[in-house]
Amino acid sequence: MSLRHHFGTFLIAAACTVASLSASAHAILIDSTPKLNDTVSAGHVDMVFTYNSKIDQHRSRIVLVKEDKSETVLTIAANNTKPNELDTHADLTPGTYTIRWQALALDGHITRGDVPFTVTP
Amino acid sequence: MELLVDIFGYLSIILHGVTIIAQSMMLGGILFLVFLARPFTHLITQGDDLERRVTRLTLYSAIGLILAEMTGVGLQIAVVMSTVDLGFLDVMQAPFAIAGTVKMLCALLLIPCLGQRVATRSLAAVLPLLIGAAELTAATFTTHAYARLDDNVLLLFVEGLHQFGAAIWVGAIPCFVLALGRLHDAHSWRLVGARFSRMSMIGVTSIVISGAVMSFFYIGNWQGFYGTAYGVMVGAKIAMFLALLALGAGNLMVTERLRKNQDASVIRMRRFAEVEIGIGFTLFFAAASLTSVPPAVDLSTDRVTLHEIAVRNAPAWPRLTSPDHDKLAISQMQARLDTQAQQRGQVAAQANVPGSGVLPPRNADDIAWSEYNHHWAGIFVLLIGFLALLHRAGVGWLKHWPLLFLLMAGFLLVRSDPEVWPMGNEGFWVAWRDVEVTQHRFFVALIMLFGLFEWAVRTGRLRSAKAALVFPLLVSVGGAMLLTHNHQISNVKDQLLIELTHTPLALAGVSAGWARWLELRLPGRGGRIAGWVWPICFMLVGVILLWYREA
Repeated sequence: MSLRHHFGTFLIAAACTVASLSASAHAILIDSTPKLNDTVSAGHVDMVFTYNSKIDQHRSRIVLVKEDKSETVLTIAANNTKPNELDTHADLTPGTYTIRWQALALDGHITRGDVPFTVTP
Repeated sequence: MELLVDIFGYLSIILHGVTIIAQSMMLGGILFLVFLARPFTHLITQGDDLERRVTRLTLYSAIGLILAEMTGVGLQIAVVMSTVDLGFLDVMQAPFAIAGTVKMLCALLLIPCLGQRVATRSLAAVLPLLIGAAELTAATFTTHAYARLDDNVLLLFVEGLHQFGAAIWVGAIPCFVLALGRLHDAHSWRLVGARFSRMSMIGVTSIVISGAVMSFFYIGNWQGFYGTAYGVMVGAKIAMFLALLALGAGNLMVTERLRKNQDASVIRMRRFAEVEIGIGFTLFFAAASLTSVPPAVDLSTDRVTLHEIAVRNAPAWPRLTSPDHDKLAISQMQARLDTQAQQRGQVAAQANVPGSGVLPPRNADDIAWSEYNHHWAGIFVLLIGFLALLHRAGVGWLKHWPLLFLLMAGFLLVRSDPEVWPMGNEGFWVAWRDVEVTQHRFFVALIMLFGLFEWAVRTGRLRSAKAALVFPLLVSVGGAMLLTHNHQISNVKDQLLIELTHTPLALAGVSAGWARWLELRLPGRGGRIAGWVWPICFMLVGVILLWYREA
């Protein structure tokens, strides 16, 4: 059996079958404002999401999900002095919300997560 | 969006693994060509033929790298464009896209540089080496090192050294196997063996130094090593690296005997090198899966302690009776939804939507269900290993033992995902959207394939030597798959405690596959020993599965 045949068999088999699920995040959220299940007052809310890696802020995304499942894309502020942060803000009325973030690490890995929180009057 | 990102995560590891293999083979090919094949062209018989063949293998690797990189980067660009609503040109300016483009361009430029016209000029050695260095530099920009908050330059250099070590050693082994297959005299074997041993030593040294530095920066301490997914995967890489070293040492002894003009088994050197390729490629997939987990130093909470590992792995009697399907979390949630929908006169919603990105709920019965599956799978595998051992000892009528694989595959297909048809409400086809279900089905397909092939080989239905190699190859691939398999559990600690069982399982599977390969390919005592080793590896897999706990 020729070497090329060995390679062909192995590479095709590996490419077809070796699989992984990146449930464990590559860039992890190490701190956030608001925190997970936090309670904040209604009005203008500044939000900061801090990661363990440098983030491509322009190509990341933060979505505010309301109780009725409606979604609003929030603008991420460019912040060169803090390359591992995603900063944004929103004017919020009382209710329960979820921040759904998707971060593109500078090395090209995409991770995402949810931060649920409550807004009180 | 969630489904797209999950599927992308699932595919990106495969593509990354293939990319690492192609890159290592391309760089290894360049180094083998420049430092071994070309300098020895006029010193060994069939030197020209060897140079031609190594050049061709390097070109194929470059084309493979272009295809793998194009697919991987293309997928990544598609995901970012569709999830962040950005244009193609915008995403193309992202660092990962620039690095990927540079890698592709380097591989593309290499093709004419290896052509006959350039090969005869003075730049023949310099150009491919410069292109290889540029490709390697670009590759480091898609590693953890580039996104770290501190020490980027040092870590980028170390990552480059690590990948260089993998290329000059593991990536060049296919060229070495090619050389051993083409050359037929002791003088040529002596020259090639001695030079490749030196190249391998440079590779090993590079890997050890860079690996130690990266462990210091990415793992930090002992608890980070055993208490995080990153550390456990590095442990698996070290185990495979040691296996490669042992095989390499065996080949070094052959080279030394050749150097002293003593009798030596070149066939053993070839077979060991083949196994090195297999284990090396498995190691590359483990490296690819490392990119999806955060470095251990960043995971200060959710680490597993030695006490937790000891408690989880305390011996207990296997669970041989299954909990009721109705008691599982999704079944109960579906029953509630059905009742509510009936009261409102509406159609009930699905309790679990595959591919929604929402992790399914789990209760104690789900854990018991999973343990029952693992324990019965353990009984199957233990029995398979034992019967294979008896057959090896001369009990001829036990040649039908591979049929047990089909029975096990059927059991796993029905039981692995209870929320899916035939047991659950989810349709068979829609469940492909669930990444974990897809992985389980790949395992089932693999088990059926290698079971059938091995049975056909053992019973004489397939007489081809190639057909016999399907079993060891697929068993090894199954082991590699296990290294990258993840359960969809939200609790990071629980997930890691499961991984701690799956990693030795994977390593035992990879060992079984390549030991069987040696039994088939290596004549004499070495092959006979390997023939006893692989059934024992299977029995070990069975014992580990019987030991498995999720709570």
